[in-house]
Amino acid sequence: MLASRAFSLVGKRALSTSICLRAHGHAGVVKAEDFSLPAYVDRRDLPLPEVAFVKDLSAQQKALKEKEKASWTALSIDEKVELYRIKFNETYAEMNKGTNEWKTVLGGVLFFLGLTGLILIWQKRFMYGPVPHTFSDEWVAAQTKRMLDMRMNPVEGISAQWDYEKNEWKK
Amino acid sequence: LARSVQHNAVRQAHRKYEPDFHDKYGNLVLLGGAAVFTVVWGYALTQIGIEWGFSPVGRVTPKEWRE
Repeated sequence: MLASRAFSLVGKRALSTSICLRAHGHAGVVKAEDFSLPAYVDRRDLPLPEVAFVKDLSAQQKALKEKEKASWTALSIDEKVELYRIKFNETYAEMNKGTNEWKTVLGGVLFFLGLTGLILIWQKRFMYGPVPHTFSDEWVAAQTKRMLDMRMNPVEGISAQWDYEKNEWKK
Repeated sequence: LARSVQHNAVRQAHRKYEPDFHDKYGNLVLLGGAAVFTVVWGYALTQIGIEWGFSPVGRVTPKEWRE
């Protein structure tokens, strides 16, 4: 580095440049990777992104950019829109636009919950034993009468729901 | 490109967005999923003999128990 600086002072640039080239391998500057450069981003809270959306302009677009340097009243509506689209990807309206993603999500969730139900059906059929006999209709009926006969929970519970005069459930 | 925009009926968006998966199939997935869910759980909850233990109030007619 110092040697090349000394040489450039003397004026022998060709020699110093080649020393620099050999030192770094190429051109003297490392090529910047894409991801390390400022990037374009569509964000609601960033109205003016760091770079324009379209980096490489076509000939037509370049001509339009030249026209932009003159008076803007000379631009047609379509040209203005095109200039906008060069600079920006989505409009705020497009950015904020909702999607139908929720339908897929909800439908998927319901579907897999349905599959869970199939598992339960399988379990009831193949895994669980029979329900205890105390759940049979006759047993429950007898059980209910016995509960009412012994005045079980008479204040707010089951006996409070039974009309002992009319011998039926209260309406 | 500016010229082709004039051929578009809609002038605000000069790019028509291609419908994505959710636009094309969202309704189908939603209704299909709801249908599967309803059928499976409707069957599971009512037809396979699960004892839910519902209250006898208003449902059961008391029967004599003394022998």
